[in-house]
Amino acid sequence: MKGSTLFYLVRLSALFVLGYSLWILSFILTNKPIEYVAWVSFTNQSLFQFSTTFAFLFMLIHAFIGLWTVGTDYFTSRTLGFISPTLIRYAVFIRGAYTIIFVALGFLIVTTTLFIIWS
Amino acid sequence: MSTNQNKIRPVYRPVFINLMQIKLPVSAFISITHRLSGIYNFFVTLPLALYLLYFSTKSYNDFMFVYSIFNNPSLFSTFVTFSFLVYFYHLLTGFRHLLQDIHIGESLVVSRLSSYLVLFIWSLLFFVVMSRLYT
Repeated sequence: MKGSTLFYLVRLSALFVLGYSLWILSFILTNKPIEYVAWVSFTNQSLFQFSTTFAFLFMLIHAFIGLWTVGTDYFTSRTLGFISPTLIRYAVFIRGAYTIIFVALGFLIVTTTLFIIWS
Repeated sequence: MSTNQNKIRPVYRPVFINLMQIKLPVSAFISITHRLSGIYNFFVTLPLALYLLYFSTKSYNDFMFVYSIFNNPSLFSTFVTFSFLVYFYHLLTGFRHLLQDIHIGESLVVSRLSSYLVLFIWSLLFFVVMSRLYT
């Protein structure tokens, strides 16, 4: 994928999630003390269900690009080498394992979210 | 990498990057903590938020359990509050980066100023939210 596409994806998802977070926060702050009935009717409306689905999908994209950048910046032979020279040989393996773990966790989070919201 | 190491080069030339020896200006500190808070958000705050969403909509009793987390000081409620404060730190520093993307506050002076402003706002938020939890 082109670098500029990744650049715009991170910014677009950031803006969406920022707006979504402020929306949830404003509901909680304007309905103090929060009641069970109000909270459930808020989370059962389709606006909440759709926007939460999009927010978590955007968060997954945002997190993937961010964590992948962090991995290629810090889990390299050059940066791991200062901890221990033997780690140099395993840098690619460590970065691969890290990538697999966060991708798996990301998909787990999104599946759980969809299950919680739409059931 | 292995062929590079066999070359003769001056001893003082850094081969590996020791991240602990790098001195950071405040804007770089904001940048690296933005990354660190992002990692924290993905591995801690996001699953925690899902856990809270699931139980707060499950039944009335579970809702009251989640409600009590936010209103009674305990180790777990401190952890939850801290996690959401880290999320707000990521939002604040991220908003600063977004402004710089559209060329607002790019100069050295303004960048430094906005870094301290972000740290100040977040410290204030941290103090207010934590003191509300413990009173």
